[in-house]
Amino acid sequence: MSILANKDTRVVIQGGAAGVNAARRMAEFCYLIKRPLNVEAFVYPPDAGKSNEVPYGSGLIAIPVYKTIAEATKNHPTINTSLVYIGADRAMKGGMEALDDTHIKVVTMITEGVPEKDAKILGAHARKLGKVFNGPSSIGIVSAGSCRLGVIGGAFDNLVLSKLYREGSFGVITKSGGLSNEIIWICSQFADGITTAIGIGGDAYPGTDYVSYLEMFENDPQTKAVVIVGEMGGDLEERAAEWYGAKKRRVKLMAVVSGFCQESLPKGMKFGHAGAKEGLKGEGSARSKSDALKKSGAIVPATFGALGPAIKEAYQDMLKSGQVKEPVEPASLPKLPKSIEAAMKADEVMVTPLIRTTISDDRGDEPCYDGYPASELINKGYEIPHVVGLLWDKRLISKQEAEIIKRIMMLSADHGPCVSGALGTIIAACAGIGLSQSVAAGLIMIGPRFGGAVTDAGRFFKHAVDNKMTVDEFLTYMKKNHGPVPGIGHRVKSLRNPDKRVKELVGYVKSLPIKTPCLDFALQVEQVTAAKKDNLILNVDGTMAAVLVDIGFPVDSLNGFFILSRTIGLIGHWVDQKRQGSRLIRLFDYLVNYAAPKRREVPPLK
Amino acid sequence: MAKVLEGPGMGLMKKWGIHVPQYAVVTSADELSKLGHVNDWMKQSQLVAKAHEALGSRFKLGLVKVGLDLTGAVAATKDMIGRQVGSIMVSQVIVSEMIAHKEEYYCAVKSTREGSEILVANCGGIEVESNWDRVKRLCLDVGQAPSHEALEKLAKEAGFTGALVKKMADFAGKMFSCFDSEDAQYLEVNPVVTRASDGELVALDAVTLLDGDAKFRHPDWNFAFAAEFGRAYSKQEEEVMAVDSKIKGSVKFIEIPGGDTAMLPAGGGASVYYSDAVVARGGKLANYAEYSGDPPDWAVEVLTEKVCSLPGIKNIIVGGAIANFTDVVKTFGGIINGFRKAKAEGKLKGVKIWVRRGGPREKEGLDAMRALKDEGFDINVFDRNTPLTDIVDKALQK
Repeated sequence: MSILANKDTRVVIQGGAAGVNAARRMAEFCYLIKRPLNVEAFVYPPDAGKSNEVPYGSGLIAIPVYKTIAEATKNHPTINTSLVYIGADRAMKGGMEALDDTHIKVVTMITEGVPEKDAKILGAHARKLGKVFNGPSSIGIVSAGSCRLGVIGGAFDNLVLSKLYREGSFGVITKSGGLSNEIIWICSQFADGITTAIGIGGDAYPGTDYVSYLEMFENDPQTKAVVIVGEMGGDLEERAAEWYGAKKRRVKLMAVVSGFCQESLPKGMKFGHAGAKEGLKGEGSARSKSDALKKSGAIVPATFGALGPAIKEAYQDMLKSGQVKEPVEPASLPKLPKSIEAAMKADEVMVTPLIRTTISDDRGDEPCYDGYPASELINKGYEIPHVVGLLWDKRLISKQEAEIIKRIMMLSADHGPCVSGALGTIIAACAGIGLSQSVAAGLIMIGPRFGGAVTDAGRFFKHAVDNKMTVDEFLTYMKKNHGPVPGIGHRVKSLRNPDKRVKELVGYVKSLPIKTPCLDFALQVEQVTAAKKDNLILNVDGTMAAVLVDIGFPVDSLNGFFILSRTIGLIGHWVDQKRQGSRLIRLFDYLVNYAAPKRREVPPLK
Repeated sequence: MAKVLEGPGMGLMKKWGIHVPQYAVVTSADELSKLGHVNDWMKQSQLVAKAHEALGSRFKLGLVKVGLDLTGAVAATKDMIGRQVGSIMVSQVIVSEMIAHKEEYYCAVKSTREGSEILVANCGGIEVESNWDRVKRLCLDVGQAPSHEALEKLAKEAGFTGALVKKMADFAGKMFSCFDSEDAQYLEVNPVVTRASDGELVALDAVTLLDGDAKFRHPDWNFAFAAEFGRAYSKQEEEVMAVDSKIKGSVKFIEIPGGDTAMLPAGGGASVYYSDAVVARGGKLANYAEYSGDPPDWAVEVLTEKVCSLPGIKNIIVGGAIANFTDVVKTFGGIINGFRKAKAEGKLKGVKIWVRRGGPREKEGLDAMRALKDEGFDINVFDRNTPLTDIVDKALQK
């Protein structure tokens, strides 16, 4: 048996995120005692109509959210208990709504900082209706083996350690949430555990006091003793003492009270709980409470530490007198399924990864590129081309190589508004499209005819060099198998109107003491092709490709250099249009050659 | 509970129709001089000047001056402003008119579990303190207002006669209205006097304790609450309060000068048991502290820094019960950061740290604390199998 919360308790939780968290804890308890989840519904107007997912075992249960208590109990008529997890300014309204619903018999409120007057009104209203209002500031109520309301009892491991999966013989009433857990643990270690533990909250005027719960425990045959953890302030402990001393009681009362330290501390000091304060004239001191309890015949150990042995002694007496029997522990208990992370950490499962990466890792406090922390690269003088080297080719390139890449990027960053990429971005920008989409519109243009020949040029030049082809052999091979040589030819530039970017890059690379077999070969090809036709020169794509292959970049990465560089320009064009407030553009009719058929009559549909 | 100084307290009473003397709260003698030009009562009445601070025994300290004219009140104000009494510096003076009267009475309303009670006596001032049996009470359930008949009956019981019965009943009724409407927890007027000029009952003094938790529905509470324990909050305490007001969960910190056992326990309930244990073993508390409700790690770190900075400490008690939902790893992370910072600043020399805790992720949290040993901390770590306050016994063993 138990009090207040049992196997028939069905719950509505009033509140948002904190309430959902409580439901998760409650589901863990239900799972431990192998019973279905006792939470039927949530009431939280902002989320009304949605549902909250609560893990149960390895699955998820969807619990509906309603706007009002009335809707919740209409749809779930078995609801008889409400947990209030809403803010202090709305707590009274929520509590009243629950109390006024005929289905609900117990309301327990976790909200802290509820005005005293509101708590009194709620308590009085509940008493008038013959219901229970527990709290505010209550950690919850737990009946071993049957029902958990709120987060009382803590984490799953603690539920097991404290043997909350089966009934014991001790009732617990505390103001403090943390100490309720401590006493539950003590009862499970020094005796056979608890029946029901109730957090009444640390406010000055809890809705329900010790005496009401002592009466309930007195009428619960399973409960043989009740442990009260009190503290200074108010007169609830004195009232409990008065109740206990008034006549012979079936249950044994054990109690500790805190606040003796007040005797040697400044008067009027505020402790952790709102109610933990002596009155203006010293009423409600720990000493007066402790004395009253002792006088009533309760067992009052001198310190909190002495409570364990006292509980043990009481339990041994119960065993001897035959009042209780040693509990039978279940053969096995359900284990809470672990999260994948926890199970992997414990080496219990192996997971086949979905993706594999060999270049970067940001699980620490900063990203590492191919193992090198970004900040260390910065501090040791490395620059953007080195990061490109690490992420594209997994190697730390030399200063000289970095300089070449930097120059390539500077030379290809932009090529004016008329080329396909920039035009694409500008049209998109003028149509009011955002930055990333507009830049993407430009990037889409990069392909075989625009900027995208770098990779292919590199591949074929490399093929020729690797196979020691002569220029003639190469041109024949290309003509036969592929067509025009990528990297050769330009729409407007020619021998007479050379591309200065090419000249610049070739000049620089040739000035360095490095071997450039691909570049040399490409220049030889140019001599032959340009002799045939003026504009069949080595273009910037071809030059970049040859140089990058010469300094060891993989062929497949080569287009990336153009994409990366040109992105700088495309972003510039988008910002430029934005800054000018450019308007939507469309082609003028005179720029279109209308070669479609003349207007004509549509024949009847057959 | 939140204490309110006399000025705003009288303001609330006036709002609910209780006669109070004319008064003004000033922050300088100049301000009072200027007010004297525009307020006739300041020129026509005899005045009382009192330091407007949360100080006891103001009479003894010379911070109450009576029977003054305006010039005298300006001089008294000049004299009081800036006076340092312990940790409190006088920054405000309340100047009010003296009310000529003969008899003194007493009236209070206080919060009870059932609702409230109205207290009335037909003696006042210090007389009522020594004649507590002459105070008569009327108990009221929450939501219930006193009838005029009940109030008159109370006044009669307290020994009022004739026209005073109705007047006192009326006064007590207004006190109740003020108490009930303003979310007060305690209102006391001592003395209530009959003003010679018009025979009305006037509140000469006001003790006002309000429910700080109800502030959200009183936008006109534009005054600050006063420290309730006879001294101003220290800078460290105020910094922790500022953190407390910003976070989910709570952190609390009160300094107790002269102690050598520093407290850094978790939980509003457990923290008091730890403090009790220190006192019971003859130790001297250097502070009261607690953190609870799964506060963010940075808030616990701030609290830890304050605790580590307490002068002359020998032990730090990092106690706590078995938490329900406070994450031990996270909150201990804040404490560990605070310890490291303190150590780097040269603090914690010769200080022993004692840890006991349980709750979500307790093993990882306790392991992290244990690892501090390798960094040179003098730290002793215990788990749930060591009873709650045993670390205090171990710490204070001679």
